[in-house]
Amino acid sequence: MNFWFTVLRQVGRNFRQTWASQLMTLLTVTLSVLIFAFFYLVYTNMLTIGDKLGDDLRLIVYLEEEPGPEMQQQLRRKITSFDEVEAIHFISKTEAYDRFSQQMSRNRDVLEDMPRDFLPASIEVVPLKTLRGLKQIKLFSDYLAKLPGTIKVQYGKDWIERFYSFTNLLSIVVFLSGSLLILTTVFMVAYTIRLTIIGRQAELELLKLVGATNNYIRTPFLLEGLAQGLLGSALGLLALYLLFDWIKGRFSGPGLFNLYEFTFLPAHTFSAIVLFSILLCTVGSFTSIQKHLRI
Amino acid sequence: MIEMIKVSKIYPPDVTALSDVSLTIKRGEMFFVIGMSGAGKTTMLKLLCSMETPTNGLIEVAGQPIHTMKGSALALLRQKIGVAYQDFKLLDDRTTAENIAISMEVSYKKPDIIRKRVIDLLEQLDLADKHDTFTDELSRGEQQRVALARALANSPPLILVDEPTGNLDAITTERVMKLLNNYNNFGATVIIATHDGSIYRNTPHRVMELNKGRIHTIHGGE
Repeated sequence: MNFWFTVLRQVGRNFRQTWASQLMTLLTVTLSVLIFAFFYLVYTNMLTIGDKLGDDLRLIVYLEEEPGPEMQQQLRRKITSFDEVEAIHFISKTEAYDRFSQQMSRNRDVLEDMPRDFLPASIEVVPLKTLRGLKQIKLFSDYLAKLPGTIKVQYGKDWIERFYSFTNLLSIVVFLSGSLLILTTVFMVAYTIRLTIIGRQAELELLKLVGATNNYIRTPFLLEGLAQGLLGSALGLLALYLLFDWIKGRFSGPGLFNLYEFTFLPAHTFSAIVLFSILLCTVGSFTSIQKHLRI
Repeated sequence: MIEMIKVSKIYPPDVTALSDVSLTIKRGEMFFVIGMSGAGKTTMLKLLCSMETPTNGLIEVAGQPIHTMKGSALALLRQKIGVAYQDFKLLDDRTTAENIAISMEVSYKKPDIIRKRVIDLLEQLDLADKHDTFTDELSRGEQQRVALARALANSPPLILVDEPTGNLDAITTERVMKLLNNYNNFGATVIIATHDGSIYRNTPHRVMELNKGRIHTIHGGE
């Protein structure tokens, strides 16, 4: 009889003997993985949305007067002296009127009595994609506001601030749920293995006396932890996928889900979560063996 | 096979179980350890299989200092020692066959070899009909024989038996002793701790009497 055959038989026996606590542990690992992976999924999708918003980010600098060609060169130099930018567009008063008129579409007749130069001239600054942080955008905006002849700078400040705060909050929730995953998984697995060890004390003592090696005695417990990690994380991620699929199907149609393409966890993240869960459960099992198994 | 030099065992706080026991048992010898209850017979067997460690002295089994060995070296040596314990150490939630198979499983014997060997041993010990019976449903005498079968399963070169006939009738006692004699004739060293006079009274083998942890007499043998 080879080593792995006997060890696997032992694992099966352990599962049968302590099936209730094993089931509780499996549920705990599954739930912990589900909670963590859910928030991580939301977080990564929010980051993707953030990236997409960043792609469309424009800082509009409203000017007191329409700048002449020389002043345009001066302003361009001033702007690029702060940071490299993707593009700078000067919008004249009439261009601003035309754009506004296009945006009004069917209601453009309300503009008929207005002079074509009633809107201020502006500069549309498209920052580089490397300019991502809220702080950097604020600094750039403050800098632009101090340029001579500037009335104000707009970039959807409130909305961006709220979005970044939400992303920060999510990152904290991801961290907390990750900690929850670590604690519950390690402790629950350690506790279950402890119960198994206590329940099989007589057998373990006998195994030692008849010449079982330490590996022969330890390996089934380690495999038990490993199996809990593998099964628990796989079930947790499967539950998350079903939930994701359900939400996508349920909330499809006009709304947030159609503005952005929400994606499930990529294969490498999926594998990383499974491997990390296996590692945690094996660590839980190992600590329990070290503490309670006297061989 | 076995060397014990000035071996003592004192259990806390100060209960002396063995005191200055020096002894050599040759390979292939059958050796009886007798004495009253508390004389140190069981302690001596426990020291020989490293279930206990001596307080003082040296114990060598097959040329190896078993009392200092650990890990896989000790495990491998223990696979060569079959022990039938006085308290049997049977697993109540396993069948008779499973209890006997344990000692062969740890040495990775093939399942069909284990199956055949278990059936063979059960027949030799008149337990063939108890193959699938849980051991907590057996009588004391039957449990004793299962413990003995487990000790013999690997055909070990060293067999330690503690009170093998304590719960047996005369016919079964004779059957058990015949089995142990067979193993001895095939070369196994057999050490029997007993206070059953019927099994050592007319023996040609050496008999050591322990008294309060000390060797009182050793007689017999060639």
